[in-house]
Amino acid sequence: MNARNTSASATLLIGLVLIGCGSSSSTSPSSSLGGGSTGGTGTTPTVNNTQSIQVNLGPAGNAVNGLYTSVTVCVPGTSTCQTISDVLVDTGSEGLRILSSQISLALPAVVDGNGNPLGNCVTFADNSYIWGAVKTAQVEIAGETAPSVPIQIISPSGFPGAPSACNSGGVADNSVSALGANGILGIGVFRQDCGAGCTASATHLPSIYFSCPGAGCTVTSVALQNQLPNPVWLFPQDNNGVLISLPAIPDGGASSLSGSLIFGVGTQSNNSLIGVQVYTTDDLGNFSVVFNGNTYSASFLDTGSNGIFFLDSSTLGIPDCTDGNSSFYCPSSEVSYAAITNGVNGASGQIAFSIANAVSLFNTGNTAFSNLGGPNSGSVDLGLPFFFGRQVAVGIESQTSSAGTGPYWAY
Amino acid sequence: LVMVTNCPAATSMNDRRDAKPLQATKLLRKVCVKRLAVALSAWLLGSAPAWAVLGQSVESVQSDRESLKGRLLTTPREGYSVHQISRDDGTVVKEFVSSDGKVFGVTWQGPAMPNLAQLLGTYFPQFQEAARAAVHRRAPVAVRTSELVVESGGHMRAFHGRAYLKSLMPNNLTQADVQ
Repeated sequence: MNARNTSASATLLIGLVLIGCGSSSSTSPSSSLGGGSTGGTGTTPTVNNTQSIQVNLGPAGNAVNGLYTSVTVCVPGTSTCQTISDVLVDTGSEGLRILSSQISLALPAVVDGNGNPLGNCVTFADNSYIWGAVKTAQVEIAGETAPSVPIQIISPSGFPGAPSACNSGGVADNSVSALGANGILGIGVFRQDCGAGCTASATHLPSIYFSCPGAGCTVTSVALQNQLPNPVWLFPQDNNGVLISLPAIPDGGASSLSGSLIFGVGTQSNNSLIGVQVYTTDDLGNFSVVFNGNTYSASFLDTGSNGIFFLDSSTLGIPDCTDGNSSFYCPSSEVSYAAITNGVNGASGQIAFSIANAVSLFNTGNTAFSNLGGPNSGSVDLGLPFFFGRQVAVGIESQTSSAGTGPYWAY
Repeated sequence: LVMVTNCPAATSMNDRRDAKPLQATKLLRKVCVKRLAVALSAWLLGSAPAWAVLGQSVESVQSDRESLKGRLLTTPREGYSVHQISRDDGTVVKEFVSSDGKVFGVTWQGPAMPNLAQLLGTYFPQFQEAARAAVHRRAPVAVRTSELVVESGGHMRAFHGRAYLKSLMPNNLTQADVQ
Protein backbone atom coordinates (compact mmCIF):
# COMPACT_ATOMS: atom_id res chain seq x y z
CA MET A 1 0.00 0.00 0.00
CA ASN A 2 2.81 2.34 0.79
CA ALA A 3 5.07 1.51 -2.14
CA ARG A 4 5.98 4.49 -4.20
CA ASN A 5 4.58 4.41 -7.67
CA THR A 6 5.05 7.53 -9.68
CA SER A 7 2.98 6.17 -12.52
CA ALA A 8 -0.01 6.07 -10.24
CA SER A 9 -0.26 9.81 -9.95
CA ALA A 10 -2.01 10.29 -13.26
CA THR A 11 -4.70 7.81 -12.39
CA LEU A 12 -5.30 9.65 -9.15
CA LEU A 13 -6.48 12.69 -11.00
CA ILE A 14 -10.05 11.64 -11.01
CA GLY A 15 -11.32 14.26 -13.35
CA LEU A 16 -12.33 17.74 -12.44
CA VAL A 17 -11.58 19.60 -9.29
CA LEU A 18 -13.44 19.57 -6.06
CA ILE A 19 -16.75 21.30 -6.36
CA GLY A 20 -16.31 24.86 -5.24
CA CYS A 21 -12.57 24.53 -4.97
CA GLY A 22 -10.08 26.56 -6.89
CA SER A 23 -9.91 30.28 -7.27
CA SER A 24 -9.41 32.45 -4.27
CA SER A 25 -12.48 34.38 -5.25
CA SER A 26 -14.79 31.44 -4.77
CA THR A 27 -17.79 31.95 -2.61
CA SER A 28 -18.39 30.07 0.56
CA PRO A 29 -17.73 26.42 -0.23
CA SER A 30 -20.60 25.37 1.95
CA SER A 31 -23.01 27.09 -0.36
CA SER A 32 -21.41 25.71 -3.48
CA LEU A 33 -21.80 22.21 -2.16
CA GLY A 34 -25.51 22.55 -2.49
CA GLY A 35 -28.06 20.49 -0.71
CA GLY A 36 -27.97 16.76 -0.72
CA SER A 37 -30.63 16.50 -3.38
CA THR A 38 -29.03 18.86 -5.86
CA GLY A 39 -25.92 16.89 -6.59
CA GLY A 40 -27.26 15.13 -9.66
CA THR A 41 -25.88 11.62 -9.62
CA GLY A 42 -25.57 11.39 -5.86
CA THR A 43 -28.05 9.79 -3.56
CA THR A 44 -30.32 11.76 -1.30
CA PRO A 45 -28.81 11.97 2.18
CA THR A 46 -30.38 9.61 4.62
CA VAL A 47 -29.00 11.63 7.50
CA ASN A 48 -27.70 15.16 7.83
CA ASN A 49 -23.96 14.73 7.41
CA THR A 50 -23.03 18.43 7.50
CA GLN A 51 -21.84 20.13 10.65
CA SER A 52 -21.14 23.85 10.86
CA ILE A 53 -17.60 24.80 11.87
CA GLN A 54 -16.33 28.25 12.85
CA VAL A 55 -13.09 30.16 13.22
CA ASN A 56 -13.44 32.68 16.03
CA LEU A 57 -11.87 33.83 19.29
CA GLY A 58 -12.80 30.58 20.98
CA PRO A 59 -13.98 30.15 24.58
CA ALA A 60 -10.79 31.63 26.04
CA GLY A 61 -11.28 34.73 23.91
CA ASN A 62 -7.80 34.80 22.43
CA ALA A 63 -7.63 32.14 19.71
CA VAL A 64 -5.99 32.71 16.35
CA ASN A 65 -6.93 30.30 13.60
CA GLY A 66 -8.83 28.12 16.03
CA LEU A 67 -11.44 25.94 14.29
CA TYR A 68 -14.41 25.03 16.46
CA THR A 69 -17.65 23.11 16.41
CA SER A 70 -20.11 21.65 18.88
CA VAL A 71 -20.54 18.01 19.82
CA THR A 72 -23.39 16.34 21.66
CA VAL A 73 -22.53 13.56 24.07
CA CYS A 74 -25.03 11.33 25.84
CA VAL A 75 -25.01 8.67 28.50
CA PRO A 76 -25.13 5.52 26.33
CA GLY A 77 -28.59 4.08 25.93
CA THR A 78 -30.31 7.13 27.38
CA SER A 79 -31.58 10.48 26.26
CA THR A 80 -29.46 12.21 28.87
CA CYS A 81 -27.30 14.39 26.72
CA GLN A 82 -25.24 17.52 26.76
CA THR A 83 -24.03 19.66 23.89
CA ILE A 84 -20.45 20.86 24.25
CA SER A 85 -19.67 24.03 22.31
CA ASP A 86 -16.31 25.36 21.21
CA VAL A 87 -14.68 22.00 20.64
CA LEU A 88 -11.50 22.29 18.58
CA VAL A 89 -11.69 20.48 15.24
CA ASP A 90 -8.34 18.71 14.85
CA THR A 91 -7.22 16.60 11.92
CA GLY A 92 -3.84 16.13 13.63
CA SER A 93 -5.17 13.79 16.29
CA GLU A 94 -7.79 11.15 16.95
CA GLY A 95 -10.37 10.97 19.70
CA LEU A 96 -12.93 13.16 21.45
CA ARG A 97 -11.60 14.84 24.58
CA ILE A 98 -13.67 17.12 26.80
CA LEU A 99 -12.64 19.21 29.78
CA SER A 100 -14.23 17.86 32.94
CA SER A 101 -15.29 21.40 33.81
CA GLN A 102 -17.46 21.50 30.69
CA ILE A 103 -19.39 18.25 31.12
CA SER A 104 -21.72 17.17 33.89
CA LEU A 105 -22.86 13.77 32.59
CA ALA A 106 -22.12 10.65 34.62
CA LEU A 107 -20.52 8.48 31.97
CA PRO A 108 -19.48 4.85 32.54
CA ALA A 109 -15.74 4.25 32.87
CA VAL A 110 -13.80 2.12 30.43
CA VAL A 111 -11.89 -0.44 32.51
CA ASP A 112 -9.03 -2.86 31.93
CA GLY A 113 -9.14 -6.64 32.39
CA ASN A 114 -8.86 -6.25 36.15
CA GLY A 115 -11.69 -3.78 36.39
CA ASN A 116 -9.42 -0.80 36.91
CA PRO A 117 -10.36 2.43 35.14
CA LEU A 118 -8.24 3.49 32.19
CA GLY A 119 -6.37 6.77 32.00
CA ASN A 120 -5.19 8.38 28.78
CA CYS A 121 -2.29 10.74 28.19
CA VAL A 122 -1.69 13.03 25.23
CA THR A 123 1.57 14.87 24.89
CA PHE A 124 2.11 17.85 22.61
CA ALA A 125 5.17 19.16 20.84
CA ASP A 126 5.54 21.97 23.39
CA ASN A 127 5.76 19.45 26.22
CA SER A 128 2.29 20.31 27.49
CA TYR A 129 -0.06 17.42 28.03
CA ILE A 130 -3.64 16.29 28.52
CA TRP A 131 -4.45 13.72 31.16
CA GLY A 132 -7.79 12.21 31.98
CA ALA A 133 -10.12 9.26 32.34
CA VAL A 134 -11.48 7.12 29.52
CA LYS A 135 -15.29 6.99 29.56
CA THR A 136 -17.93 5.67 27.20
CA ALA A 137 -20.40 8.05 25.56
CA GLN A 138 -22.82 8.25 22.72
CA VAL A 139 -21.50 10.88 20.35
CA GLU A 140 -23.77 12.91 18.07
CA ILE A 141 -22.59 15.39 15.46
CA ALA A 142 -24.98 16.78 12.83
CA GLY A 143 -27.30 13.84 12.10
CA GLU A 144 -24.63 11.23 12.76
CA THR A 145 -24.65 9.12 15.90
CA ALA A 146 -22.03 6.73 17.25
CA PRO A 147 -23.70 4.88 20.12
CA SER A 148 -20.70 3.75 22.13
CA VAL A 149 -17.46 5.69 21.93
CA PRO A 150 -14.52 5.73 24.35
CA ILE A 151 -13.78 9.42 24.99
CA GLN A 152 -11.46 11.24 27.34
CA ILE A 153 -12.67 13.39 30.22
CA ILE A 154 -9.79 15.76 30.95
CA SER A 155 -8.65 16.02 34.59
CA PRO A 156 -11.84 14.80 36.27
CA SER A 157 -12.16 15.13 40.01
CA GLY A 158 -11.88 11.88 41.93
CA PHE A 159 -9.48 10.43 39.37
CA PRO A 160 -5.75 9.98 40.01
CA GLY A 161 -3.55 12.84 38.89
CA ALA A 162 -1.25 12.61 35.91
CA PRO A 163 1.50 10.03 36.43
CA SER A 164 5.05 11.32 36.00
CA ALA A 165 5.37 9.27 32.82
CA CYS A 166 2.66 11.49 31.36
CA ASN A 167 3.45 14.99 32.56
CA SER A 168 7.23 14.88 31.95
CA GLY A 169 7.57 18.23 33.64
CA GLY A 170 5.19 19.83 31.16
CA VAL A 171 2.15 22.03 31.57
CA ALA A 172 -1.33 20.54 31.92
CA ASP A 173 -3.86 21.66 29.32
CA ASN A 174 -6.64 21.13 31.82
CA SER A 175 -8.60 24.39 31.66
CA VAL A 176 -10.38 26.46 29.04
CA SER A 177 -7.63 29.07 29.22
CA ALA A 178 -4.85 26.52 28.84
CA LEU A 179 -6.54 24.50 26.11
CA GLY A 180 -8.18 27.40 24.29
CA ALA A 181 -11.18 25.15 23.79
CA ASN A 182 -13.76 23.15 25.72
CA GLY A 183 -12.44 19.98 24.17
CA ILE A 184 -10.81 18.49 21.10
CA LEU A 185 -12.51 16.56 18.33
CA GLY A 186 -9.71 14.50 16.80
CA ILE A 187 -10.72 13.42 13.31
CA GLY A 188 -7.40 12.62 11.66
CA VAL A 189 -6.41 9.82 9.31
CA PHE A 190 -6.32 7.03 11.88
CA ARG A 191 -9.04 4.94 13.52
CA GLN A 192 -7.57 5.28 17.03
CA ASP A 193 -5.30 7.68 18.84
CA CYS A 194 -2.60 5.07 19.35
CA GLY A 195 -3.43 1.90 17.42
CA ALA A 196 -1.44 -1.34 17.44
CA GLY A 197 1.44 0.37 19.27
CA CYS A 198 -0.61 0.40 22.49
CA THR A 199 -2.01 -3.15 22.29
CA ALA A 200 -0.69 -6.26 23.99
CA SER A 201 1.29 -7.16 20.88
CA ALA A 202 3.50 -4.07 21.18
CA THR A 203 7.14 -4.56 22.17
CA HIS A 204 7.38 -1.17 23.85
CA LEU A 205 4.31 0.52 25.29
CA PRO A 206 4.37 4.31 25.04
CA SER A 207 3.09 6.38 27.97
CA ILE A 208 -0.38 6.80 26.50
CA TYR A 209 -2.72 4.35 28.24
CA PHE A 210 -2.63 3.72 31.97
CA SER A 211 -4.34 1.32 34.34
CA CYS A 212 -5.55 3.31 37.33
CA PRO A 213 -6.34 1.39 40.52
CA GLY A 214 -6.64 3.61 43.58
CA ALA A 215 -2.93 3.26 44.33
CA GLY A 216 -1.86 5.07 41.17
CA CYS A 217 -1.62 4.69 37.43
CA THR A 218 0.81 2.54 35.45
CA VAL A 219 1.31 2.14 31.72
CA THR A 220 -0.80 -0.63 30.25
CA SER A 221 -1.80 -2.12 26.93
CA VAL A 222 -5.31 -1.51 25.64
CA ALA A 223 -7.20 -3.38 22.97
CA LEU A 224 -8.09 -1.34 19.91
CA GLN A 225 -11.80 -1.23 20.76
CA ASN A 226 -11.07 0.42 24.11
CA GLN A 227 -8.73 3.07 22.72
CA LEU A 228 -9.99 6.55 21.88
CA PRO A 229 -11.30 6.30 18.35
CA ASN A 230 -11.80 8.84 15.65
CA PRO A 231 -15.58 9.07 16.27
CA VAL A 232 -16.30 9.34 12.55
CA TRP A 233 -15.13 5.78 12.05
CA LEU A 234 -17.85 4.59 14.45
CA PHE A 235 -20.75 6.25 12.66
CA PRO A 236 -23.05 3.67 11.02
CA GLN A 237 -22.68 5.52 7.70
CA ASP A 238 -20.52 8.30 6.28
CA ASN A 239 -17.68 6.72 8.24
CA ASN A 240 -14.78 6.59 5.79
CA GLY A 241 -13.55 10.14 6.36
CA VAL A 242 -14.52 13.78 6.37
CA LEU A 243 -14.48 16.74 4.07
CA ILE A 244 -13.49 20.09 5.51
CA SER A 245 -14.70 23.09 3.59
CA LEU A 246 -13.63 26.60 4.49
CA PRO A 247 -13.94 29.81 2.50
CA ALA A 248 -11.06 31.86 1.18
CA ILE A 249 -10.31 34.98 3.19
CA PRO A 250 -8.60 38.30 2.41
CA ASP A 251 -4.90 38.85 3.11
CA GLY A 252 -5.70 40.90 6.19
CA GLY A 253 -7.74 38.08 7.68
CA ALA A 254 -11.34 37.73 8.79
CA SER A 255 -12.95 38.53 12.11
CA SER A 256 -14.70 35.17 12.04
CA LEU A 257 -15.92 32.71 9.45
CA SER A 258 -18.03 29.61 9.00
CA GLY A 259 -17.52 26.48 6.98
CA SER A 260 -18.64 22.88 6.85
CA LEU A 261 -17.47 19.62 8.26
CA ILE A 262 -19.04 16.97 6.04
CA PHE A 263 -18.98 13.34 7.11
CA GLY A 264 -18.21 10.64 4.59
CA VAL A 265 -16.25 10.69 1.34
CA GLY A 266 -18.32 9.86 -1.70
CA THR A 267 -21.15 8.56 0.44
CA GLN A 268 -23.68 11.27 -0.36
CA SER A 269 -24.20 13.77 -3.11
CA ASN A 270 -22.61 16.53 -1.03
CA ASN A 271 -19.30 14.81 -0.45
CA SER A 272 -18.33 13.53 -3.87
CA LEU A 273 -14.63 13.75 -4.56
CA ILE A 274 -14.56 14.84 -8.14
CA GLY A 275 -11.14 15.13 -9.63
CA VAL A 276 -9.07 15.83 -6.60
CA GLN A 277 -5.55 14.61 -6.16
CA VAL A 278 -5.42 11.89 -3.52
CA TYR A 279 -2.28 11.84 -1.37
CA THR A 280 -1.86 8.77 0.78
CA THR A 281 0.17 9.07 3.98
CA ASP A 282 2.70 6.76 5.56
CA ASP A 283 2.08 4.69 8.67
CA LEU A 284 2.70 7.76 10.83
CA GLY A 285 0.23 9.99 9.02
CA ASN A 286 2.88 11.92 7.12
CA PHE A 287 3.62 12.72 3.51
CA SER A 288 6.41 14.62 1.77
CA VAL A 289 6.70 18.29 1.01
CA VAL A 290 9.47 19.43 -1.31
CA PHE A 291 10.56 23.00 -0.67
CA ASN A 292 13.49 24.61 -2.51
CA GLY A 293 14.65 21.18 -3.61
CA ASN A 294 14.73 19.74 -0.11
CA THR A 295 12.33 16.95 0.84
CA TYR A 296 10.59 17.03 4.22
CA SER A 297 9.15 13.55 4.59
CA ALA A 298 7.48 14.03 7.99
CA SER A 299 5.06 16.68 6.76
CA PHE A 300 1.34 16.76 7.36
CA LEU A 301 -1.99 18.60 7.20
CA ASP A 302 -3.42 19.69 10.54
CA THR A 303 -6.40 21.92 11.25
CA GLY A 304 -5.21 21.99 14.85
CA SER A 305 -2.05 23.88 13.93
CA ASN A 306 -2.80 27.57 13.67
CA GLY A 307 -0.23 28.42 11.01
CA ILE A 308 1.94 27.04 8.27
CA PHE A 309 5.09 26.01 10.06
CA PHE A 310 8.18 25.31 7.99
CA LEU A 311 11.96 25.71 7.91
CA ASP A 312 13.60 28.55 9.80
CA SER A 313 14.26 32.24 9.51
CA SER A 314 17.87 31.96 8.38
CA THR A 315 17.00 29.53 5.60
CA LEU A 316 14.05 31.61 4.43
CA GLY A 317 15.69 34.96 5.00
CA ILE A 318 12.75 36.40 6.93
CA PRO A 319 12.83 37.27 10.62
CA ASP A 320 11.05 35.57 13.45
CA CYS A 321 8.79 37.85 15.45
CA THR A 322 10.03 38.91 18.86
CA ASP A 323 8.96 38.48 22.47
CA GLY A 324 5.97 36.22 22.91
CA ASN A 325 5.48 35.82 19.17
CA SER A 326 8.87 34.32 18.39
CA SER A 327 7.30 31.17 16.99
CA PHE A 328 5.84 33.15 14.09
CA TYR A 329 7.48 34.87 11.15
CA CYS A 330 7.49 38.65 10.82
CA PRO A 331 8.61 39.55 7.29
CA SER A 332 8.53 43.25 6.46
CA SER A 333 6.15 42.49 3.61
CA GLU A 334 4.17 39.45 2.57
CA VAL A 335 6.25 36.70 0.93
CA SER A 336 4.89 34.08 -1.48
CA TYR A 337 6.12 30.50 -1.55
CA ALA A 338 5.55 27.41 -3.66
CA ALA A 339 6.11 23.80 -2.70
CA ILE A 340 5.36 20.33 -3.99
CA THR A 341 3.30 17.88 -1.97
CA ASN A 342 3.96 14.20 -2.62
CA GLY A 343 1.77 11.37 -1.41
CA VAL A 344 3.23 8.02 -0.51
CA ASN A 345 1.28 6.73 -3.51
CA GLY A 346 3.29 8.95 -5.84
CA ALA A 347 0.63 11.61 -6.28
CA SER A 348 2.26 14.99 -6.71
CA GLY A 349 0.99 18.53 -6.90
CA GLN A 350 2.10 22.09 -6.37
CA ILE A 351 0.82 24.26 -3.57
CA ALA A 352 1.27 27.96 -3.00
CA PHE A 353 0.98 29.98 0.17
CA SER A 354 2.06 33.31 1.59
CA ILE A 355 3.51 34.44 4.88
CA ALA A 356 2.72 37.88 6.26
CA ASN A 357 3.95 39.72 9.33
CA ALA A 358 2.29 37.90 12.23
CA VAL A 359 2.31 40.87 14.58
CA SER A 360 0.67 43.05 11.94
CA LEU A 361 -1.94 40.34 11.46
CA PHE A 362 -2.60 40.04 15.19
CA ASN A 363 -2.94 43.81 15.45
CA THR A 364 -5.90 43.73 13.05
CA GLY A 365 -7.93 42.03 15.77
CA ASN A 366 -9.06 39.38 13.31
CA THR A 367 -9.07 35.70 14.22
CA ALA A 368 -8.64 33.93 10.87
CA PHE A 369 -5.52 34.37 8.76
CA SER A 370 -4.51 32.57 5.58
CA ASN A 371 -0.93 33.85 5.69
CA LEU A 372 0.19 33.14 9.24
CA GLY A 373 3.28 30.99 9.63
CA GLY A 374 6.37 30.26 11.63
CA PRO A 375 9.48 28.13 11.99
CA ASN A 376 9.44 24.35 12.25
CA SER A 377 12.58 22.35 11.83
CA GLY A 378 12.30 18.96 10.18
CA SER A 379 8.82 18.99 8.70
CA VAL A 380 6.27 21.17 6.96
CA ASP A 381 3.16 21.53 9.10
CA LEU A 382 0.34 22.65 6.82
CA GLY A 383 -1.99 24.07 9.42
CA LEU A 384 -5.34 25.81 9.20
CA PRO A 385 -4.23 28.49 6.69
CA PHE A 386 -3.80 25.72 4.13
CA PHE A 387 -7.49 24.85 4.47
CA PHE A 388 -8.87 28.30 3.64
CA GLY A 389 -10.34 28.44 0.15
CA ARG A 390 -10.15 24.68 -0.18
CA GLN A 391 -12.11 21.56 0.41
CA VAL A 392 -9.86 18.95 1.91
CA ALA A 393 -10.84 15.33 2.36
CA VAL A 394 -9.36 13.31 5.21
CA GLY A 395 -9.53 9.57 4.52
CA ILE A 396 -9.47 7.24 7.53
CA GLU A 397 -7.08 4.29 7.53
CA SER A 398 -8.37 1.03 6.05
CA GLN A 399 -11.67 2.68 5.12
CA THR A 400 -12.51 2.58 1.47
CA SER A 401 -14.05 5.33 -0.60
CA SER A 402 -14.26 6.50 -4.17
CA ALA A 403 -10.86 8.07 -3.58
CA GLY A 404 -9.28 4.82 -2.49
CA THR A 405 -8.33 3.45 0.88
CA GLY A 406 -7.13 5.63 3.74
CA PRO A 407 -5.04 7.02 5.23
CA TYR A 408 -5.02 9.89 2.76
CA TRP A 409 -5.66 13.55 2.18
CA ALA A 410 -7.32 14.76 -0.98
CA TYR A 411 -7.44 18.31 -2.32
CA LEU B 1 -2.77 18.98 16.90
CA VAL B 2 0.45 20.63 17.78
CA MET B 3 0.12 22.81 20.83
CA VAL B 4 2.13 25.21 22.83
CA THR B 5 1.28 26.73 26.16
CA ASN B 6 -0.54 29.98 25.99
CA CYS B 7 0.45 31.72 29.14
CA PRO B 8 0.80 35.39 28.34
CA ALA B 9 4.14 37.10 28.00
CA ALA B 10 4.38 39.64 30.76
CA THR B 11 5.86 42.22 28.42
CA SER B 12 4.02 41.36 25.23
CA MET B 13 2.54 44.31 23.42
CA ASN B 14 0.55 42.06 21.19
CA ASP B 15 -1.41 39.99 23.60
CA ARG B 16 -5.05 40.86 23.39
CA ARG B 17 -5.43 39.77 26.97
CA ASP B 18 -3.50 42.88 27.95
CA ALA B 19 -6.70 44.73 27.29
CA LYS B 20 -8.55 42.67 29.86
CA PRO B 21 -9.10 43.85 33.41
CA LEU B 22 -6.01 43.85 35.60
CA GLN B 23 -7.43 41.14 37.80
CA ALA B 24 -7.70 38.71 34.93
CA THR B 25 -4.15 39.40 33.83
CA LYS B 26 -2.89 38.88 37.35
CA LEU B 27 -4.72 35.61 37.57
CA LEU B 28 -3.18 34.33 34.36
CA ARG B 29 0.29 35.22 35.55
CA LYS B 30 -0.36 33.58 38.89
CA VAL B 31 -1.40 30.38 37.16
CA CYS B 32 1.74 30.48 35.05
CA VAL B 33 4.00 30.90 38.06
CA LYS B 34 2.22 28.07 39.77
CA ARG B 35 2.73 25.85 36.76
CA LEU B 36 6.40 26.67 36.68
CA ALA B 37 6.70 25.73 40.34
CA VAL B 38 4.94 22.43 39.74
CA ALA B 39 7.13 21.66 36.76
CA LEU B 40 10.29 22.52 38.66
CA SER B 41 9.21 20.35 41.56
CA ALA B 42 8.60 17.43 39.25
CA TRP B 43 11.99 17.98 37.74
CA LEU B 44 13.84 18.29 41.05
CA LEU B 45 12.05 15.40 42.71
CA GLY B 46 12.15 13.14 39.67
CA SER B 47 14.13 9.95 39.46
CA ALA B 48 17.66 9.82 38.10
CA PRO B 49 17.88 11.01 34.51
CA ALA B 50 16.91 8.28 32.10
CA TRP B 51 18.04 10.32 29.12
CA ALA B 52 21.32 11.88 28.26
CA VAL B 53 21.29 15.32 29.74
CA LEU B 54 22.25 18.14 27.49
CA GLY B 55 25.60 19.56 28.51
CA GLN B 56 26.52 16.56 30.65
CA SER B 57 28.84 13.61 30.08
CA VAL B 58 28.70 10.78 27.57
CA GLU B 59 28.19 8.24 30.36
CA SER B 60 24.48 8.91 30.38
CA VAL B 61 24.13 7.39 26.90
CA GLN B 62 24.39 3.84 28.19
CA SER B 63 21.77 4.42 30.88
CA ASP B 64 19.56 5.87 28.18
CA ARG B 65 19.91 2.74 26.12
CA GLU B 66 18.97 0.61 29.11
CA SER B 67 16.07 2.83 30.03
CA LEU B 68 14.76 2.88 26.49
CA LYS B 69 15.45 -0.83 26.00
CA GLY B 70 16.71 0.06 22.56
CA ARG B 71 19.60 -0.75 20.31
CA LEU B 72 22.67 1.48 20.46
CA LEU B 73 24.67 2.33 17.37
CA THR B 74 27.68 4.58 17.82
CA THR B 75 29.13 6.32 14.80
CA PRO B 76 32.41 8.21 15.10
CA ARG B 77 32.62 11.43 13.12
CA GLU B 78 35.31 14.04 12.78
CA GLY B 79 35.54 15.75 16.15
CA TYR B 80 32.44 14.14 17.63
CA SER B 81 30.35 10.99 17.74
CA VAL B 82 26.70 10.13 17.27
CA HIS B 83 25.08 7.64 19.62
CA GLN B 84 21.81 6.45 18.13
CA ILE B 85 19.32 4.55 20.25
CA SER B 86 16.45 3.00 18.32
CA ARG B 87 13.68 0.58 19.06
CA ASP B 88 10.84 -1.19 17.36
CA ASP B 89 8.10 1.34 18.14
CA GLY B 90 9.80 3.94 15.96
CA THR B 91 11.55 5.81 18.72
CA VAL B 92 14.95 7.08 17.62
CA VAL B 93 17.11 9.22 19.91
CA LYS B 94 20.44 10.53 18.67
CA GLU B 95 22.92 11.98 21.11
CA PHE B 96 25.75 14.09 19.78
CA VAL B 97 28.89 13.89 21.89
CA SER B 98 31.95 16.10 21.48
CA SER B 99 35.52 14.74 21.60
CA ASP B 100 35.80 15.82 25.24
CA GLY B 101 32.80 13.69 26.16
CA LYS B 102 30.02 16.26 26.48
CA VAL B 103 26.54 15.85 25.05
CA PHE B 104 26.08 18.97 22.93
CA GLY B 105 23.00 17.95 20.99
CA VAL B 106 20.06 15.55 21.07
CA THR B 107 17.46 14.73 18.46
CA TRP B 108 14.36 12.63 18.85
CA GLN B 109 11.51 11.12 16.91
CA GLY B 110 8.81 8.72 17.99
CA PRO B 111 5.18 8.06 18.83
CA ALA B 112 5.23 10.18 21.99
CA MET B 113 7.21 13.14 23.25
CA PRO B 114 10.38 12.35 25.20
CA ASN B 115 10.76 13.58 28.74
CA LEU B 116 12.09 17.04 27.99
CA ALA B 117 12.67 17.83 31.66
CA GLN B 118 15.20 15.03 31.83
CA LEU B 119 16.51 15.53 28.32
CA LEU B 120 17.28 19.21 28.77
CA GLY B 121 18.42 18.95 32.38
CA THR B 122 19.45 22.31 33.77
CA TYR B 123 18.33 23.96 30.54
CA PHE B 124 14.73 22.79 30.94
CA PRO B 125 13.58 25.91 32.87
CA GLN B 126 14.88 28.06 30.00
CA PHE B 127 12.82 26.05 27.57
CA GLN B 128 9.73 26.21 29.74
CA GLU B 129 10.03 29.93 30.27
CA ALA B 130 10.36 30.61 26.57
CA ALA B 131 7.55 28.22 25.66
CA ARG B 132 5.25 29.85 28.21
CA ALA B 133 6.03 33.30 26.93
CA ALA B 134 4.38 32.38 23.66
CA VAL B 135 1.05 33.95 22.78
CA HIS B 136 -1.49 33.11 20.10
CA ARG B 137 -0.07 29.63 20.03
CA ARG B 138 -1.22 26.37 18.60
CA ALA B 139 1.97 25.48 16.93
CA PRO B 140 5.31 23.74 17.04
CA VAL B 141 7.72 25.25 19.52
CA ALA B 142 11.02 26.92 18.69
CA VAL B 143 13.09 28.22 21.58
CA ARG B 144 16.25 30.16 20.82
CA THR B 145 18.27 31.73 23.58
CA SER B 146 21.90 32.90 23.49
CA GLU B 147 23.09 29.38 24.29
CA LEU B 148 20.19 26.96 23.80
CA VAL B 149 18.12 25.96 20.79
CA VAL B 150 15.11 23.64 21.15
CA GLU B 151 12.81 22.83 18.24
CA SER B 152 9.90 20.49 18.71
CA GLY B 153 7.18 19.55 16.25
CA GLY B 154 5.03 16.80 14.83
CA HIS B 155 1.64 15.46 15.76
CA MET B 156 -0.04 12.58 17.58
CA ARG B 157 1.85 9.36 16.75
CA ALA B 158 4.75 11.22 15.12
CA PHE B 159 6.79 13.70 17.12
CA HIS B 160 10.23 14.99 16.26
CA GLY B 161 12.62 17.58 17.54
CA ARG B 162 16.12 18.54 18.52
CA ALA B 163 18.02 20.49 21.13
CA TYR B 164 21.59 21.73 21.10
CA LEU B 165 23.98 23.98 22.94
CA LYS B 166 25.81 26.51 20.82
CA SER B 167 28.73 26.86 23.24
CA LEU B 168 29.51 23.13 23.30
CA MET B 169 29.18 22.50 19.60
CA PRO B 170 32.49 21.57 17.94
CA ASN B 171 33.86 24.34 15.76
CA ASN B 172 33.65 22.28 12.59
CA LEU B 173 29.88 21.80 12.94
CA THR B 174 26.82 23.89 12.20
CA GLN B 175 23.26 23.49 13.44
CA ALA B 176 22.49 21.62 10.23
CA ASP B 177 24.70 18.75 11.45
CA VAL B 178 22.49 18.13 14.47
CA GLN B 179 19.74 16.08 12.93
